[in-house]
Amino acid sequence: MSARSPITDTPMTDTPILRVKNLKKYFHVAKGNLHAVDDVSFDISKGKTLGMVGESGCGKSTTGRLLVRLHESTSGSIIYDGTEVTSATVRDMGMLRTCMQMIFQDPYSSINPRHTVASIIGEPLKIHKKVHNNLEYEERVRQLMTTVGLAERLYDAYPHELDGGRRQRIGIARALALDPEFIVCDEPVSALDVSIQAQILNLLMNLQEKLGLTYLFITHDLSVVKHISDDIVIMYMGQIVERGPTEELFKKPIHPYGQALLSAIPIPKLNSKRDRIILKSEVSSPINPKPGCRFAPRCAYAQPECSTADPALREVSPGRFAACRLAEQFV
Amino acid sequence: METILALRDLEVQYYSNRKTIRAVNGLSLDMHKGKVLGLVGETGAGKTTLALSILNMIRAPQGKITAGNIRFAGNDVLTMNKHELRNMRGKDVAMIFQDPMTALNPVLTVGDQIAETVLRHEGVSKEAAWKTAETMLETVGIPADRAREYPHQFSGGMKQRVVIALALACNPKLLLADEPTTALDVTIQAQVLDLMRKLIKEQGTSVLFITHSLGLVAENCDEVATMYAGEIVEFGSVKQLFGNPLHPYTKGLFGSLPDLSAVSERLKPIPGLMPDPTNLPSGCFFSPRCPFATEICHNTHPVDIDVEGHMVKCHLYTKKGGKA
Ligand SMILES: Nc1ncnc2c1ncn2[C@@H]1O[C@H](COP(=O)(O)OP(=O)(O)OP(=O)(O)O)[C@@H](O)[C@H]1O
Ligand SMILES: Nc1ncnc2c1ncn2[C@@H]1O[C@H](COP(=O)(O)OP(=O)(O)OP(=O)(O)O)[C@@H](O)[C@H]1O
Ligand SMILES: [Mg+2]
Ligand SMILES: [Mg+2]
Repeated sequence: MSARSPITDTPMTDTPILRVKNLKKYFHVAKGNLHAVDDVSFDISKGKTLGMVGESGCGKSTTGRLLVRLHESTSGSIIYDGTEVTSATVRDMGMLRTCMQMIFQDPYSSINPRHTVASIIGEPLKIHKKVHNNLEYEERVRQLMTTVGLAERLYDAYPHELDGGRRQRIGIARALALDPEFIVCDEPVSALDVSIQAQILNLLMNLQEKLGLTYLFITHDLSVVKHISDDIVIMYMGQIVERGPTEELFKKPIHPYGQALLSAIPIPKLNSKRDRIILKSEVSSPINPKPGCRFAPRCAYAQPECSTADPALREVSPGRFAACRLAEQFV
Repeated sequence: METILALRDLEVQYYSNRKTIRAVNGLSLDMHKGKVLGLVGETGAGKTTLALSILNMIRAPQGKITAGNIRFAGNDVLTMNKHELRNMRGKDVAMIFQDPMTALNPVLTVGDQIAETVLRHEGVSKEAAWKTAETMLETVGIPADRAREYPHQFSGGMKQRVVIALALACNPKLLLADEPTTALDVTIQAQVLDLMRKLIKEQGTSVLFITHSLGLVAENCDEVATMYAGEIVEFGSVKQLFGNPLHPYTKGLFGSLPDLSAVSERLKPIPGLMPDPTNLPSGCFFSPRCPFATEICHNTHPVDIDVEGHMVKCHLYTKKGGKA
């Protein structure tokens, strides 16, 4: 085995460009503290893609937003290329904002409906003074539009005139405008048909190969995440419950939630219904959660001890991490 | 089979920058009671426009239904008055919007929004309506103690689930589900689809299921239609379409999928983009991208061809003995 980092206990074969350690984000809501992200740690190596999957509402987008500092964290640390994001000065943030970008999950609420397609895509170029004159600006915007497959005729169109898929591509073009090094891709292809989806995934992979981009790739589409990611983390109610290299994790998930998740993938073939693990639909609330495994109320293997203390994310077999007392039996 | 919805020669246009966008082009389609029809197709093919048309919700001056007719349970939707339309929308025909925020009011709590719909259509007490709202939220996997929160406090998938709860609260006869589960993880997706199936079985609800996920179509639909540039280019049972896709565009869709059981370097998308809807090509709309296109494809618009009860709009099959 290679050396392991003392902080995150991951192999030090590649240098991580991003290190997240004990990250927390609590929201104050009417009924108490909502633990959206609750003690999350992970690394991403330069030029790699970390896939992030998990239940809807488990804190994926919040994690992404914390990384690019669209939310202030409650506690914990995010180190990007040596700079602590959570306490970066305004000047450092200006620099970080050009290297770190986010493609937003919701193309409707993340773009200004009163601006034209071109001005939405080009806005970061103006804010960060990346172009010197109008000609250069227009050229760069048109080039970005071509890159993501938006026809030039849409230069002056408004977002409401576009279908869901094209609106999503505006967000992608905007994120690429500043030539970032690291992109949080939050469901970047979910609104797209499978052919355009394939075009965008190929584009992201080509850019990665050419420019060494690093991605945090959040999605519900497990075949997409498998295709694009080197490693995967699975989240459940604000916490990482499983982490491992993509191929191995897909072969054999070792956390009961991971198992349920992978068993529910719909397959685009006739009569392919497999043995699905149907989860009990009992839902626990992320507001002031009680200690203990958060998945236990729905877990088929749960024992009384599971509900006494939070299970730590630990290495169950080489490279495979799970936050489950019983994980050994699933290896 | 009882027909619940019949569309005939529907044409819908939008107007922008003095250009005419031909979003739906002479489309005919039947939906049957208690059946789920999957609608797949390219981004911008006109799927959402089609669903909005069924509710007569294409708004002037941006857009207009320029030809054709729509019958829901025998009634002509395009001649209904305001009152009839209001009764139909939300009660008999419910829509799960692709963009949850078009259906949600940002200044009302999610519980209030569902309760309000129930109050308007079901004539129950305020308390009963609130109870229904809480039950519906739990059914879509949102704890009832979150009913007093606002949409912006919810994650993308949670907003989508609220919209689903809203659409199902009044037991509609026809459900127009526009990408209802794209923002949901597969386990919650499975729960929501179970709920939908229950509704179909108990109430005979018909569903138009718009989705990009061929996996969901295979597992949840009875029939499938492929849409391209405002037309249905292929229609058949799930068995026909998945067992033997005919249209080159449908074939291309299957070819673009990442394969779960294999490691592949790059995906194989259909090359090129959809034609400009303000300037559709003469001949077959897919011909500029079609690997099989011949001269006739570029010059003559294809008609529907029946290949053993499986409809396809493609010249390739005229030669192969399909009936026009
Ligand atoms: N209000 C509008 N004004 C102008 N054009 C519009 C408007 N709404 C839709 N369009 C155009 O009509 C065409 C069909 O759009 P529609 O939203 O129906 O597609 P869709 O099949 O639902 O796509 P997606 O899968 O991306 O949601 C597109 O070219 C779109 O740009
Ligand atoms: N601004 C906010 N105020 C209060 N609560 C919030 C806010 N933003 C997010 N939350 C809550 O934090 C939790 C995590 O939300 P987040 O958007 O990160 O989930 P997600 O994993 O991205 O889900 P999805 O897959 O549905 O997009 C949810 O319970 C959500 O309601
Ligand atoms: Mg999210
Ligand atoms: Mg749509």
